[in-house]
Amino acid sequence: MSTNVIETRDLTVYYGKHRGILDVNLSVEKGEVFGFLGPNGAGKTTTQRVLLDVFSPTSGQATVFGKDCQKDGVAIRKHIGYLPGELALYANMKARDFFKMYEYLRKDNKSKGYWRELAERLDLDTSRKISQFSRGNKQKVGVVAAFMDRADLLILDEPTGGLDPLVQKTVLEFVKETRADGRTVFFSSHILSEVQAVCDRVGIIRDGQLVATQRVDDLFAQRMNRLTLIFEDYPPIGVFNIEGVSELDVTRKSITLEVRKNLPAVLTSAAQHNVIDIETHNISLEEIFLAYYSKDEGGNHV
Amino acid sequence: MFRLFVQELKFRRNAILGWGLGLCFFPLMYVGIYPSVADEMAGLADLEIYQAMGMNLGTFGDWIGSIMVVMLPLIASIYAIGNGTGTLAGEEEDGRLEMLVTLPLPRWQIVTAKALAVTISSFFIYLVVSFVSWLVFIAIEGQIETVLVGLDVFKAVLASWPYVFAMAMIAMFLAAFCSTRRFATMIATAYLVIGYFGSNLAASTPLLEPFEPFFLSTYLDGTGKAIIEGQKTGDILVLVGVGLAAFILALIFFQRRKLTVGAWPWQRGRVEK
Repeated sequence: MSTNVIETRDLTVYYGKHRGILDVNLSVEKGEVFGFLGPNGAGKTTTQRVLLDVFSPTSGQATVFGKDCQKDGVAIRKHIGYLPGELALYANMKARDFFKMYEYLRKDNKSKGYWRELAERLDLDTSRKISQFSRGNKQKVGVVAAFMDRADLLILDEPTGGLDPLVQKTVLEFVKETRADGRTVFFSSHILSEVQAVCDRVGIIRDGQLVATQRVDDLFAQRMNRLTLIFEDYPPIGVFNIEGVSELDVTRKSITLEVRKNLPAVLTSAAQHNVIDIETHNISLEEIFLAYYSKDEGGNHV
Repeated sequence: MFRLFVQELKFRRNAILGWGLGLCFFPLMYVGIYPSVADEMAGLADLEIYQAMGMNLGTFGDWIGSIMVVMLPLIASIYAIGNGTGTLAGEEEDGRLEMLVTLPLPRWQIVTAKALAVTISSFFIYLVVSFVSWLVFIAIEGQIETVLVGLDVFKAVLASWPYVFAMAMIAMFLAAFCSTRRFATMIATAYLVIGYFGSNLAASTPLLEPFEPFFLSTYLDGTGKAIIEGQKTGDILVLVGVGLAAFILALIFFQRRKLTVGAWPWQRGRVEK
């Protein structure tokens, strides 16, 4: 296997007869933020748990830092900060005692006390017992625990769940700072706006199978345009039968198009038919993602 | 591993205090009450129902043996089972174990640290109860006729701790083996109860005699003679051996366990082509 930080080959996990993930081939490069997208039950958490050796795969192989996740789990985990999706903490501990315990168990001295800075930035009162915290504050504890070690690889399972928008922004800043340090983030989410904001590449997992990986920039470069053309009279019929263009809606005076290719040809045709206004609609990564997700269309399969 | 052990022991501070103090009521009540019931108890010595329950209440030594050496470990085993299953299966089910196993710690160290913490905490509880038994004995010593001295009572109570250790390790093994904590607790509790009655019945029923070695209570001698002379070394070794064997099984099964999945060992996924 290569020197990618994360690499999986035909990774398959079955829970008894139930499929977890199937033949997942994935690579995450050093220093990138990799967004792992998919709805609940798609296999995101399963993949992460194999990487952390919470359980072993049914077949296939996963490596982190070039080492086998099952054989060298302990050595690998020294360099991983992890935030689980289903966070469970020791409720009777004060947050600061939890961080001290975590620091103590990780035997980490290089970032000793860094948790204080992180907690302050998240406005987390570490003198309170975890049992007294709201869900959002508990999530902040999990976020601090994941980042406090300045690990070379962060595996974050839906890190902004339960957080208010301001704190979400701070967490995404942590992610960006991690990348700026040259460290790697494997970031699972189904909130596409945050993936769009921080990720370099995305992998899309559907029904346990990785259906696409793509650079976020490329995804936007090839993104669709959605236009509504408003005409003086009835909209022309059939003139937008152009490759890469599909009609979404036609009204008495307007026509809405989804344009993947040949935008100049669309505009030329519109100009020839007394168009009086053009409205453009931004298409989000979510819509592009949903297009990938559409079982009928398939999208860019890997 | 030592760091984790220290943490695990810290988590049990309240349990040690609570169970230690709670179980102190046992000697306070049952040892303390003896002077006022001694005559009545002497008259019940030959009742078969008591014999079937493994109890012989004729002398103070018999009384101490039946109550403190036979009954106390059964009650303390509730702590052992709850703690033994809770520390692995319980934490797995509530998600806390996932945070722990994703730290750079080998699984064998996690199990060992937790087993040590369960063992030491149960021993501390027993030390407290044994010491309080001694104190209560000193308080009533002048009112009873016995050849025992305070230290005999202390040693007799403490000598039944290996039973609790064995139950704790069996509970940990079951937690590593069973799909859920519920199953582990159910099986361990059933074994505890069946073991107690089974041992007593096997001693008096020839049909059950072959099964006697499989009941842990068989290895606890609650007679007055054992209080004076101490538990048999062989019995103590059996209890400690069972505990160690269960601990090794816990290590093996936890090492191979698919954590967070809640599966039995034979339910590992197979690829269906």
